[in-house]
Order: sequence, then structure tokens, then C-alpha cells
Amino acid sequence: MSNLAFALRGVNAAVSGTFALREVSFELPSGYVMGLIGANGAGKTTAIRCLLGMRAIDGGEIELLGHPVPGPVALRQEVGVVLDHTYLVGDWRLAQVERALRPFYERWDGDRYRGLLDEFGLDLRAKVKDLSRGMAIKLTIAVALSHHARLLVFDEPTSGLDPVARDELVGIIGDFLLDAGHSVLFSTHITTDLDRVGDYLTLIHDGRIVRTGTKDDILDAYRIVRAGPDDLNDLVGVELIGVRRTSTVTQALVCTDEAGLLGADVLIEPPSLEEIAVHIGAPAGRRKETV
Amino acid sequence: MRVVLSNGAGAPLYQQIKDQVGAAILSGDLAEGSALPSVRALARDLRISIITTTRAYAELAAEGFIATVPGKGAYVLPLDSALVREQLLRKVEDGLQTALDAARQAGLRRDDLIQMLDGLIAAAHLEEVRS
Amino acid sequence: MTPVARMVMLNLRTVAPYRCQCLAVFAVVVLLFVNRPVALVPTLVLLFTATMAAYPFNVGDKARLETLYATLPLARRSVLFGHYGWALACYLCTVIAGTALALLLARLQSVPLGGRTLAAVLTLSWGTFAVNVAVQFPLFTRYGYTRVSVLSTVLPLAFLAMLVVRLHLSLASARSWLPWTWPVGAAMIVASAAVAMTLDRRRVHPRL
Repeated sequence: MSNLAFALRGVNAAVSGTFALREVSFELPSGYVMGLIGANGAGKTTAIRCLLGMRAIDGGEIELLGHPVPGPVALRQEVGVVLDHTYLVGDWRLAQVERALRPFYERWDGDRYRGLLDEFGLDLRAKVKDLSRGMAIKLTIAVALSHHARLLVFDEPTSGLDPVARDELVGIIGDFLLDAGHSVLFSTHITTDLDRVGDYLTLIHDGRIVRTGTKDDILDAYRIVRAGPDDLNDLVGVELIGVRRTSTVTQALVCTDEAGLLGADVLIEPPSLEEIAVHIGAPAGRRKETV
Repeated sequence: MRVVLSNGAGAPLYQQIKDQVGAAILSGDLAEGSALPSVRALARDLRISIITTTRAYAELAAEGFIATVPGKGAYVLPLDSALVREQLLRKVEDGLQTALDAARQAGLRRDDLIQMLDGLIAAAHLEEVRS
Repeated sequence: MTPVARMVMLNLRTVAPYRCQCLAVFAVVVLLFVNRPVALVPTLVLLFTATMAAYPFNVGDKARLETLYATLPLARRSVLFGHYGWALACYLCTVIAGTALALLLARLQSVPLGGRTLAAVLTLSWGTFAVNVAVQFPLFTRYGYTRVSVLSTVLPLAFLAMLVVRLHLSLASARSWLPWTWPVGAAMIVASAAVAMTLDRRRVHPRL
């Protein structure tokens, strides 16, 4: 039994004729949080659906908590899924949510559920449809923690959340990871969520994995370069990622090992995660210039 | 245990943790044998990545400041362990080298330097006596 | 509890917040047919049971419960069979309550409601129910409630109307083949479940 929270290996997935995922491979050792970063439409949600067995794949293999996917339905006992929408009956009160879901879980801790709702400031008598987005996400987390999920999967949880709610979410994840047997997958296009707390990162663009590894490895793998408006032309052997030219400056991302070939007149410095995401996610026309 | 991280400071986060915990141990604020928060608890408190805190602890352990017990956490090692002494000696040497470089730039001679050193030692001694 | 039973309970809880509206429908039908107890049960099955059975699909569409089913430790097969199980449970409850009410009303109004009439009425109800569910549920599964709700209500009614016209139904003449309604109806439901399972595999995936 591996100690990976999950692994995707060479996964291909087609959506209505075109490939949404191409040779996607990334994995997360148990006990850490991985950020899946990419622009809208890059394939994050498709990757998550495939990982959770919610859609079939057309090639490759997937492993989830040590089991191949598609796996036994019982695997879902250990997974909590938080999406950008609630998937509960709006007119249920939070107490009814427990009554509805409890029969399906072997290890449901009712005291924990009520305790968490209390901690999150959620009223048992409140209706699901009256919850704000941040509260709805906390509810889903409370449900997941109450059935002792080992893996939390978040798909764009912070879009639409104010900074306070986002900060609370980071705290909740930190508490969840106190147990080395717990892991988190967090897909987002907001890089500041993962700037500090991300352990592993996977960058995805156009259905392909651009890079995956520890956050430090990824930050180390690139450099941001800035030069004059007419510079950074006719470069041999250097791939400029996401070049942006204005009348005053040219900016691009390069791989660290190619940065040495750039010459003296450019400013080279370590990028922020935001800059990496922006340049890698740049639309096709601007994406790369190589010679 | 007090660790206060700065976003703006040039030093990477793991380095800041290392420096602050190391300094606390050296100054005695963290007594020998006292337990440190686990890497996960520290990461949770500081809101940073677990890999960062793990690295900081690993380097502190490699330098002899702490010992980590898998699954339990870490605790402070006695200060007079050989590795720590070696660390301190290296610090003294680095400090002296820095002073020497500056002295050369300022055009000071050996005697001036020794005078300054004696003065600093005397001042430190006075401070100790007073407190 | 088996997974299918759990799904039936989940459907019950899905519909529970709307029990007042549902009971109102029941009450209206009863009031409308207070003077015609013989026709009460079939009408209840046609109007009330059909609504109740489809309710989880209705609520599910709006609340995106397909995602919930996909995250719960619940096999797809159990979800589908649970929908059918819920429909059957609705039918049984309607028939029990409806028959009791019909008998009571018949006695109060001194309307004859003997064993043979009752049997025929119950058989008709079963036939109505079977046609309804057999037609609607695969459509709901494949296309979701919202997209086909009108069509799926009209189709069974059209089918039944066609049957009536075709066979010039009156209770007397129907008595010969009426008993066949039971096995045929059951077979329709089983076939419908199989079709639903097949369609489900090719379903346009829910917007997760």
C-alpha cells in the first residue's frame, strides 16, 4: 500500500471530441496539501472529477488513497469533496443534513458535527439555502470531517470568498493537516491562497501538466526577466514564456537553467507564484517565443 | 516558543525559523529538554507550508540544536553538544572576519582592533554585573 | 439497511421539506372526488403518486443532488433502484390511505364499493402507476427533470388515453384482461429500470 494520497499517471480524458486532459501525471504524498493551479478551462475540474471517479478516463491510471480508480464505492467514506456550489437540498436545516447523510457513513461522529458547526458559527436550525458561500463551504467541511475523511478535495473553494473567509479556510486546512494521515487537494486560480501554505504544487495549462513538485522546487525552476521594450529578441536556446511587451518594458518567464543565456542587460529575479501562474497561463498567442 | 516571521525580510522563511529558534536556544530562552511544537503544529500556527517547517527542523537537528522523534515532535538538545559548539565557533570566526574586513577598509591596525575588543568585553562585563 | 433502502430514505428526506405542498395536493384530490369514491384511488395514483414519485428528481435538479449522490458512498445502481423504490413506496402509501378513505366515503354515502369493484379499481391504479413510472423515470435519468417534466407527464397520459380509446374501456368489458395488468405492469417497471441503467451510463455528466 503506497503512502500516496493520490496519483494520476498518464491520464487522458476527452470531452466531446477534444482532449480535456493530455498525459496528465501528478501525485501527492500523504500528509500534505497540493495546490492545483491553472486558468479557467485549463482542466482542473476535469482532473478532479477523474480523480474522484466521477468521470471515466480514456487512458492512463489513477490511484486514490491506495486504491485504483474506479474503486470500491466504500472509498468515498474517506473523501470529502468541497465544490464551488452546495449540493444539498436548500430547504434542509443543518440538523436535517446530518439525518440525511448519516446513514451512509460507517463512522459518523454526531458530536463532532455539532461541535464543528458551533465552532464555525453555524446554527443547526439554519437552512442550507440561507448560508453564505463561506458558510456553505464550512458546512461541507464539517460534513467531511464528521465522517472522518482522510482526503479533502477542494475545487475552487475561494472564488467568491472575502479575505477573512479565505483566511479561515487556510486555518481549517492547517488544523486538518495536523494529522499526518490527512491530505488536501486544492484547486484554484488564486495563487495567494497557496503562496505560504502550499506544500506541493501542480501547474496545469491547456489540459497538460506544465510542472509539478514541491512549492520550493517550482519557485526555483523559473525566473522572471524584465528588459527594455526592444530587448529579448533573437534569443537562441531560451524559451520565453508568456511574453508581455509594452512600450516601456518586456517581461517574460524563463526556466532557471536557461536564464544564464540571457545576457547582461536584463533584470532576472525569482518569481512569485502569481507571476508563474500568469505567464504560464497566458493565452496561446502570447505564450511562447523561441528561436 | 516565539517565532515571528517577516514577509519582507530577504531571508527565506525556513531560514528565519532556524535563526530564531537557534537564537532562542543559544540564549537559553528555550531550555535544554523543552519540547518544541511538531512541524505540523508549527506550520499551522505560522500559516506556512509543512515542508518549510520540516526543513527548518531538519537543519536545526543537523546542526545539533534539536533532536526530532518521529511521530512525537522535537526537543531541545543540551547546548554543550559538540555540534553546537562548532556552530558557535564558526559564528565567532565569521563575526571576526567581518570585523576584519571592515577594519581593513577603515584602515585600522591590529592594536586598534584589540583595543576595541577589550573595550567591548569590559562593557559587556559591566552589563552583566548590573543585571 | 440495504443501500437501496438508504436511498429511499434519502428521497424521503429530500421531499420532507415540501410535505405540506404534497399533502395539499392529496387533500385537493380527495375533496374533488368526495362524491365519487370509486374513482378516488386511481385519480390519486395518477395525480398525487406521480407527483410524489417525481419529486426527488425535481428537487434534485435544482439542488444538484446528482453531485451529492456521486460523493456519497452509494453505488449508481442503488441510486437508480432507490428512485424506483421510492416510487413504489409512494404508490403503496397512496393506495392504502386512498382505499381506506374511499371505503369510508363510500359507506358514508351508501355507495356500493364491493370487492370486485375495489379489485378492478386497484388494478387500474397499478396500471396507471406502472405506465407513469416506466415512461418517466428513464427520461428523468437521461435528461434530468427540468428538461422533460412536461413531456414526461404528457406521454403517459397520452399512452393511457390511447389505450382507453383503442379498447373502448368500460369496467365490465375490461374484466377479462384486467388481471394481466399486474404482471405486465411489473414487467414494464423492471424493463424501465434496465433501460434507465443503460441510459444512465451514457448520460451527459452532471455539472459537478
